[in-house]
Amino acid sequence: MFMLHSKLQSEEDIAFASATELHRLMVKGDLSATELTDIYLNRIKKFNGLSKAYITVTPNEARVNVTSFTRHDLEASPFAGVPFAAKDLFDIEGIKTTGGSRVFHDHLATEDAVSIARLKKGKAISLGKLNLHEFAYGATGENPEFGTCPNAYDTSRLAGGSSSGSAAAVAFGLAPVTLGTDTGGSVRAPASLNGIVGLKPTMGRVSTRGVMPYCWTLDHVGLMTRTVHDCANLLGLVAGFDPQDPVTVNVPVDDYAFELDNEIAGLHVGIPANFFYERTDPEILAAVERVQRYLVSHGAQLVPVTMPDMTNTRTVSLTVQMPEALSVHSRYLDERGDLYGQDFRAGLALGQCLLAEHYVRAKRFIEVYRQQTNALFDDVDILLTPTTPAIAPHIGTVTTKVDGMDEPVGNAITRFTSFFNMSGHPAITVPCGLHSEGLPMGVQVVGRYFEEKLILNVARLIEKNDEFSVPRPKIG
Amino acid sequence: MKKLQKETLTNLCDQLASHPWHDEEIEELVHPKLGIITGFQELLDQLEVLRKTDLGHTPPAMSVQKGN
Repeated sequence: MFMLHSKLQSEEDIAFASATELHRLMVKGDLSATELTDIYLNRIKKFNGLSKAYITVTPNEARVNVTSFTRHDLEASPFAGVPFAAKDLFDIEGIKTTGGSRVFHDHLATEDAVSIARLKKGKAISLGKLNLHEFAYGATGENPEFGTCPNAYDTSRLAGGSSSGSAAAVAFGLAPVTLGTDTGGSVRAPASLNGIVGLKPTMGRVSTRGVMPYCWTLDHVGLMTRTVHDCANLLGLVAGFDPQDPVTVNVPVDDYAFELDNEIAGLHVGIPANFFYERTDPEILAAVERVQRYLVSHGAQLVPVTMPDMTNTRTVSLTVQMPEALSVHSRYLDERGDLYGQDFRAGLALGQCLLAEHYVRAKRFIEVYRQQTNALFDDVDILLTPTTPAIAPHIGTVTTKVDGMDEPVGNAITRFTSFFNMSGHPAITVPCGLHSEGLPMGVQVVGRYFEEKLILNVARLIEKNDEFSVPRPKIG
Repeated sequence: MKKLQKETLTNLCDQLASHPWHDEEIEELVHPKLGIITGFQELLDQLEVLRKTDLGHTPPAMSVQKGN
């Protein structure tokens, strides 16, 4: 049995501890990797019915892998013995990759996705595969086949998506870290709604090979963790050039956790004057303004910036997404079309009806967005925005009304995140407090290409202030 | 630009190389109820605005590079 620790008095304390703390306990000998794995597997058994986080749990593989590393491994990798789980788009050899759909109920992966292989090389322990909006299409995470993940802070509300299980697993204490995918905010938005850290790295920083595609132009592997330090360590493990992935870029991988606590005096923080602070819950705005003041108190300088014209960004994103998704699924539509969910089929039909010139023009607009956003970084070091315009919506909500404007709920959830999938810049969300309705709020920090180290540094500074922390959710 | 008719989409899918779509999917494009995607007419209106924007010689986006 693990030794009780001054801060960790119960199995629940262990389940909600950071990966860094868990690894430290294992190195000290206060906790064994087998005990830790069992704690999570027991919690999954107990709470998966409520959380709907896991589609597939792999206890046998976990128990075999947990005995396969040495003392040297434990000291060499910050994730040795640390459990993780991945959205069910990531291939794990010998395990089904369902994509959250009936279509792939029998789709067995023959090799690991690159990011999974890198985690395994770091001796992390896979617990299984996580729920999602079918094929990552949609930000609500609603899934008629595997259930809809509720929010850990209020189970009548959504966890959000599309990486709903990735967020729920961390928020319900069923894994310390998870992988998701982010095509329009599918990591950052649910992370924000569930009070955890979510990172979408620079496009090309982490290989997407072995991850079932949704939209090649916009897909990113994303990370969800309990702390910024865990996020930094996890990025260091999974990032890096992959010669077989044409999108990855051959730039050095930083030691992201090193000097994570640097001060930020002189940092220029871009505050968008348009779009990102409009039609937003006043409490979220107030929280983000508190973050601004806090950064100023540490020597940062706020710089108003005008973002590119954001009027049609949703249209541009959708016009690229749907034809690409149709191309991904073309073969399976012919073979198993009736197994697809109704909402995804409608989206694919939309992809069918768009003209080629619409698609090419949308891709050209994305290039314009990239050039215009890069120009902003001539004057500022980071951009600071709310992550979502509202707290988690109730399950079953179809449209939201803000300032008299109706908006499909999925669009609302990712309104502030999807632009940076198009621009390709790294973006992280970190909690910035609890709303009066008891739900977490998040702030988004965006940086220049491949400057994840800086946005992690800023996110860590925000995290260090208790004013912005969120309490552990009450589960069960 | 004329207002989109459901029949147009149905004919488009019938007469070009296309997947066989159900009537419900085409209906969702014309009269969306699921709250996931924008109605097609709205999307076409916005695409028309984009079509009239001069992008010069800007190429389609490819991968990003450090420093660009």
